[in-house]
Amino acid sequence: MKRKQALLGFVFVAPWVIGFLIFGLYPIIKSIYFSLCQYDVLRIPQFIGIKNYTDLLFEDKYFWKSVWNTLFYTAVRTPMCILGSLLLAVLVNKAVKGMKIFRTTFFMPSIITGVVLSSLWLWILNPQYGLINSMLAFFGLHGPLWLQSTTWSKPAIILMSLWSIGGGRMLVFLAAIQGIPKTLYEVAELDGGGWWTKFRYITVPMISPVIFLWSVIEVIFSFQVFTEAYIMTQGGPLNSTLFYNLYLYMKAFDDFSMGYASALAWLLLVLTLVVTLIQFKISKKYVHYQN
Amino acid sequence: MNRFFKIIKVIGISILIVAFLFILFWDFDKENDNIPGITTLKYWYISGAKDELPYQALKFDSLRDDIKMKVTGIPWQENEKKVLTSILGGNPPDVVTQVTPVVKWASRNALVSLDKYIKRDNFDSTVFFPALWREMSYNNEIYAIPFNTASYALFYNKRLFREAGLDPNKPPKTWNQVKKYSKKLLRKNEKGNIIQIGYLPDYYKLQTVTIMAWELEAPFYNDDKTRINLTDPKMVRVFQWLSDFYKDYSLNKILAFEAGFGNANQHGFISEKVAMVVLSSSFPDQIKKYKSDLDYGVAKIPTFPGFKTASSAGIWWLAIPRGAKHPDKGWEFIKFSTSKKIALESIKKMESNLFPANKLAATDSSFLKNKRDKIFIENMKYAHSPAIIPLVHDAFWREFIGVQENVKYGANPLEELKNAEKTIQREYKTALSYDKFVQQEMKIDK
Repeated sequence: MKRKQALLGFVFVAPWVIGFLIFGLYPIIKSIYFSLCQYDVLRIPQFIGIKNYTDLLFEDKYFWKSVWNTLFYTAVRTPMCILGSLLLAVLVNKAVKGMKIFRTTFFMPSIITGVVLSSLWLWILNPQYGLINSMLAFFGLHGPLWLQSTTWSKPAIILMSLWSIGGGRMLVFLAAIQGIPKTLYEVAELDGGGWWTKFRYITVPMISPVIFLWSVIEVIFSFQVFTEAYIMTQGGPLNSTLFYNLYLYMKAFDDFSMGYASALAWLLLVLTLVVTLIQFKISKKYVHYQN
Repeated sequence: MNRFFKIIKVIGISILIVAFLFILFWDFDKENDNIPGITTLKYWYISGAKDELPYQALKFDSLRDDIKMKVTGIPWQENEKKVLTSILGGNPPDVVTQVTPVVKWASRNALVSLDKYIKRDNFDSTVFFPALWREMSYNNEIYAIPFNTASYALFYNKRLFREAGLDPNKPPKTWNQVKKYSKKLLRKNEKGNIIQIGYLPDYYKLQTVTIMAWELEAPFYNDDKTRINLTDPKMVRVFQWLSDFYKDYSLNKILAFEAGFGNANQHGFISEKVAMVVLSSSFPDQIKKYKSDLDYGVAKIPTFPGFKTASSAGIWWLAIPRGAKHPDKGWEFIKFSTSKKIALESIKKMESNLFPANKLAATDSSFLKNKRDKIFIENMKYAHSPAIIPLVHDAFWREFIGVQENVKYGANPLEELKNAEKTIQREYKTALSYDKFVQQEMKIDK
């Protein structure tokens, strides 16, 4: 019976295992090999050792530019996203009349897909006719050039991204906050603790595993930023929005330099891994697990 | 009861396995391909907004009893990747229409050489515009046949010319005139923001610096084509003109102004915000669609004193991908499609204002209806190929346009050209060595 059950179990997981081997593991192994080759897909690969990697690290001006752009995007966006959506969650956790409407309103932008969102924000960010600059002009302020400016293009994309994902993350934090036992807050209140004390010493430590999880996920997502730059700026102006994945895409599907693009992909993995390990290391200091 | 469930379970799993194997191995095209005496010819074309099948394919299908055309439209943006994937997968169409440089495909061994067919059938290449035919070859072999083309000219807004006190029948002939006219055509609102300009060198598809480099005959390579050359004084002159042009304006004001452009009626020329733009022969259709009362003229592209004008030609070509199952029949279809009669008939059926690549068809009196068309045909004489460094086509354009952008933002032209030259050279060197390696391997295989 045991053998039979095991066999049946294997049959049921077989589609996934076969799928993973063919479409997951095989391409991963193959891409390691291609990263050591000059390869344009249509012709045979030429083994060139680690030349792609040395070219990337020491010769390619776009590589470091794209690394810097992506790190900037990640470093600014991740804390802002976590902090912003956490504050939103705290706000919409209040028992106020009509709160469901607020929750829905904040959540709504997150159902818009990347391409539509980017096209919409192209107009919101338009320096002459855009919503943001028109509002700033109403208060007598002169708005920046946003996507046309080398200084403001990355902040503009970060702003757009926060608007679109904030609501979704808010829900996650809201669920976590609502899972905190009420008694803890009651005890704090009896001891005379105000809202800040409750937030700092109960809410944040109690949901710190969720904050940690999302900071890891946000960093990984941020490293993968692509659609916004692809649709809105194509990496410009002056490569100020040339993010890592956009550059990888250009090398792979414009230039057909698949070997070079594979090397780029592997370096991205290393970069993500290093940052995630650092996050795990730091997490020991602030993440509290109840057990 | 237990036994009943067991039987159901076995039957269920068996059905799943059979279905899985069926999907994996069944050739869904097989049924259509197997009609005795009839060849199914697969043709992939670049589909537009309208889902209309290409005339030449329908006509060929109706005239040939032994051939059944299976026509598939691939959207513009996906086209290159889909054809590439089909070649890689070993199941490409028999004929494709493409618009990116032939050399980019031929150098990657993606197309079948057409030399044996051309020789066998005494195919007359002189009926095509020479600028287009030149683009069809790689390593002295022909890989594609030109089908349609788009030609370029300077479009100018006559109403805005009149308002600015310029003669609407005298468009600029030199780039210095363009600069002068552009300043005269400049208009700002009370806040000092630009609301109208005469010319923008980097606006729309064909960039001014590219045209100028062609006009001055600036070399892109050294003589033996082993080194990239972007620092020739002629090239520096081009980018210096660009640098000088922007000095007359505030960059921030220009950038804010440009951000308001879009497609259709938001196009800079159609919305009458830019008075002069180099546009293609298919643009009058857009004008007709979005602003039919626009008072505009079409003229030769300006040049430098003492130099010939230059233009570009976008080429839609037909070719047989590597691994095609019916190359002979594919060739017959290509020959049929590019003949004067069919090229003329199919272009008339099309909505966009393209030209037949067949010179006889393009200059036919039934096609050349107005003076404007004649200017476009005339400009074909000066057409250059956008495939400037084919082996590193995209990398080259990324760098070249990058220099233009940097200079626009105030960088030194010579420094930028030097940097771009270095980057392209690195890519070019790698591409050359890879090409050599592949050629050697192929020789060994043969």
